[in-house]
Amino acid sequence: MIDQLIAGFAEALTFYNVLFITLGLVLGIVIGVIPGLGSVTAMAVLIPVTYYMSPVTAIAFLVGVNKGGTSGGAIPAVLLNSPGTAESAASALDGYPMAKRGEPERAMKFALYSSVTGDTISDMLLIVLVVPFATIALQFGPLEFASVLLFAFTLLAGISSASPVKGLIAIFFGVFLATIGLDPVDSTPRLTFDQIHLYDGLSLIAVAIGSLALSSVAAQLLDMAAKRRGGGVPHEALPPSTNRHLGAVEFFSHWKTIIRSSLFGSGVGMLPGLGVTLAAFLSYGAARKASKDPDSFGKGNPEGIIATEAANSAVVGANLVPALALGIPGNVAAALLISAFIIHGIVPGPFMMTMHGDVVYALFASMLMANFLHLIVGRLGIPVWALVTKVDQAYVLPIVVMLCVTGVYLPSQSLFDVGVMLIFAVLGLVMSRTGFSVVGMVIGFILGGLFETSLRQSLLLYKSDYSVLLESPIALAFLLLAALVILRGMWPAKRQEPVHDAQ
Amino acid sequence: MKFSMKSVAAAVTMAAAAVSGAALPAQAEYPEKPVTMVVPYRAGGSTETMARVLAKALTDQVGQNVIVKTMPGAGGAVGATAVSKAAADGYTILFIASSSVLWPPMTQNVDYTSSSFDFVAQISEYQQALVAKADAPYDTLEELIEYSKTNALNFADQSAMSRTYTNFIAAKEGVAWTGIPTKGGGEMVPFLLGGKVDFAYSGGIHNRYGDDMKVLVSMNSSRLASAPDAPAVSEGYGVAMPSQSMVVVPAGTPEEVIGKLEAALSLAVQDAEFTDLMENKLSFPVVFRPSAEITAAMGETEAALKTVLEATK
Repeated sequence: MIDQLIAGFAEALTFYNVLFITLGLVLGIVIGVIPGLGSVTAMAVLIPVTYYMSPVTAIAFLVGVNKGGTSGGAIPAVLLNSPGTAESAASALDGYPMAKRGEPERAMKFALYSSVTGDTISDMLLIVLVVPFATIALQFGPLEFASVLLFAFTLLAGISSASPVKGLIAIFFGVFLATIGLDPVDSTPRLTFDQIHLYDGLSLIAVAIGSLALSSVAAQLLDMAAKRRGGGVPHEALPPSTNRHLGAVEFFSHWKTIIRSSLFGSGVGMLPGLGVTLAAFLSYGAARKASKDPDSFGKGNPEGIIATEAANSAVVGANLVPALALGIPGNVAAALLISAFIIHGIVPGPFMMTMHGDVVYALFASMLMANFLHLIVGRLGIPVWALVTKVDQAYVLPIVVMLCVTGVYLPSQSLFDVGVMLIFAVLGLVMSRTGFSVVGMVIGFILGGLFETSLRQSLLLYKSDYSVLLESPIALAFLLLAALVILRGMWPAKRQEPVHDAQ
Repeated sequence: MKFSMKSVAAAVTMAAAAVSGAALPAQAEYPEKPVTMVVPYRAGGSTETMARVLAKALTDQVGQNVIVKTMPGAGGAVGATAVSKAAADGYTILFIASSSVLWPPMTQNVDYTSSSFDFVAQISEYQQALVAKADAPYDTLEELIEYSKTNALNFADQSAMSRTYTNFIAAKEGVAWTGIPTKGGGEMVPFLLGGKVDFAYSGGIHNRYGDDMKVLVSMNSSRLASAPDAPAVSEGYGVAMPSQSMVVVPAGTPEEVIGKLEAALSLAVQDAEFTDLMENKLSFPVVFRPSAEITAAMGETEAALKTVLEATK
């Protein structure tokens, strides 16, 4: 493995790769800083740019974008108390109080260092775990896939919105959307209304950008319009900085929180469908519980930032374990990364390591390089990111709208997809205003097709004989877990704080 | 200003002449502007990769840019529909698998048929076969059929068409196989090698798993170069799956234009970069067949497809 990794570095360490990883990080951070947009939007609009790169450069660039987009959200959380992404929401709880007492740079450094450390730990876990995972992956047939996905749906329903029923409705609406197109078994057109553009179903990029990015832009535009009428609220200016320094010794004195949060992030990242926001909130809660002084959380305790940022960045590497080994995307960002792999002729799954081992190890090397570059770019860029947060949204949002349109149009050069995106922007807006989880819907849509295919493959393969479940311990275990999650949800107990709209 | 108005008017007149199919003064001038080559599949797949390199070689031959435009969807039907409705002037050409020309019109509600196109030339041939795991208890199609008389077998297919052809063999032999749908070779391989299915349809990916898989029968009209001992389906059953990748143009394109494209393609397929890609990266053979030959072959394949569809209804 070490040999292969060294060979991977030899392939990945080229001028172009370093350049494009850096570019990806910068673009990712800038897009992450813009409120409402995170790594998903950043990757979706930038995938077409990668068509003309070599596979390794393309994936390395997107890895940079993903990492930058995930960590960029912390910057406006610290400086404006308005997190750029939902996964950084908890960073605002302690980051903004730190900024108010004159330590914005320290808060941003805590966020950056935690992101990079969490990410590195998660990447190393990925490198160690992906080979054993790929070897058991052959045991994963359609029966096991269907059971794991069912489990993921039940788990996601409980955490994606305040009401598990609304969560479940959103997820299964997504699954329903995934049934549009040619039936996977008989190729009968379903819900296509003789529209040939619907034969392959709705485009993932159109659905994801429309309902997640464009709807959030639309919401902000509506808010701005409302504020203009009301006269607008000037933003509270921060006091001058008094303490900028953060040394390695001081940072690593929080090693317990760093490691715990990284493991939380990695664990959540490996389960399909759960996503980044949940990892951040779980980790924040755990850090607070473990702290000797829980009351200091929310008042500018750097451990709060560490817990959030280390965990949300740790998801990035770990969610590639199921994505690479099984081809099941852990979240929206991983689904986009898989689609980028396929565009470049690499099909994720159990044979990826044997067929494209060189590319995979070059990817791992690129990820480790990206962490190092992330530290440099993020550190040097702190004054620049602060400027980005000051740009008037009136200039930023139209550019974002244009990026959304081009990002959706380019992959298949289809205006139909742009129309789909616009419809989903409206739908996303309506759903988030009525408390239905948009992310739940998108995840349901992503995993729905796989779920239907696996379920129907199983029914055909085993001739609808359910006793076959007893022969598959993996499937049986996940189905029992799913049943357990449902039973526990029905029990009237004190509910966890809901994590609203993830990724 | 006056000058530009004039040239716009001239351009409009010429475009109108081209659209109406009226003979331009000198057909030898084709092409006088860039040609768009539509590829109706996703970017990054083997057909699209092939098309990009072919377009480059074709550019050198015709002296005008050949621009690749991907229009994926519905197994090629989205791009085919668009090109069938384009002007028949040779400036919109289509690089497509013959299955996408024949199958959708016969089985789905689409706006084109095989006669919506004129066939310019075949470029390559997909290496389609029924394959089994190397250690399977059968080495030939006969042994597989014999084995399935006492065992219930499942196979992985990759499209309704591959399932229909496999079921056609089963119907002829009086056995029953259950088709399990998979999405392309990437999903078929773990199904076959993981032992979930007993055999599988392969569109050519088996060439990359030489030691792990064996070819039972070629689904093309002839035996595969990589497995010369396995018979072709046409030998026993008189039918074959559409296997050509080819360049077609909207029906009604002037003969001179087709002739020019055909000649340019016959030279483009000899381009060093193109042959290197085909042989070393994609492991597809370069199979050039001119317009008359491919038109006849398509007629035969279409007749076979009708037989198969009738028999498996």
